[in-house]
Amino acid sequence: MKTKTYLALLISISLLVSLAILFIPGLAESIETWMLGFLSRNAAA
Amino acid sequence: MARKFLTVIVQLLIALVTIPAVALATMSFENRNNDGPSIIFPGGELVSGELYLGPEPDWSFTDDVGTVHLQLDDPLSSRLIWIEESDGKIYITSDYMGTWLGRLWKKWAVQAHEGDGLAVVRINGVRYERKLERVFYSPLLDGVIEKKIAKYRSRITREAIESGETWVFELAPRTGV
Repeated sequence: MKTKTYLALLISISLLVSLAILFIPGLAESIETWMLGFLSRNAAA
Repeated sequence: MARKFLTVIVQLLIALVTIPAVALATMSFENRNNDGPSIIFPGGELVSGELYLGPEPDWSFTDDVGTVHLQLDDPLSSRLIWIEESDGKIYITSDYMGTWLGRLWKKWAVQAHEGDGLAVVRINGVRYERKLERVFYSPLLDGVIEKKIAKYRSRITREAIESGETWVFELAPRTGV
């Protein structure tokens, strides 16, 4: 993939992720819960 | 061929770092004005909950409280923090303060120490107006250390406090403010 195309794709995905977190109710909480679960599982391992 | 493969790997790695970083930054941004912190991200001003106005409470009930919400008045931001009661007083601690990175991570402790220390702590849904006063050397520190070890299995030591690695604040009443 050409650098220009790659950067455009990366910026688009990042923007999409940001907007989804900001505007989809409960998404941020779900991600945080998942993160905490992931961290506690791996910390205990 | 090898160069193309390497480019794809590098692009993937950059994406794997950038997208989660953007997500975390967005979540932190979204939480910054909330009524209290989330488990990971700091929040804004503590608004909900009754404001306690009575005499100094018996703080021993905090032995059954794992974490509290601590909000500084300046800047108006809040975080989740452990609490230790000892000798009728309540304390909070901040570890990793001996390093630049630690002080950046625990910026609130620096702000409390360098600023006026005015704070609000929300415990079990009740807000208490307090003043953070850093404790450097005090015989009372032994009780704080014992409580933190017993309650949180912490590795806190008096040496860590006296060397500045761990900062201890008393959540003192706001008398005279």
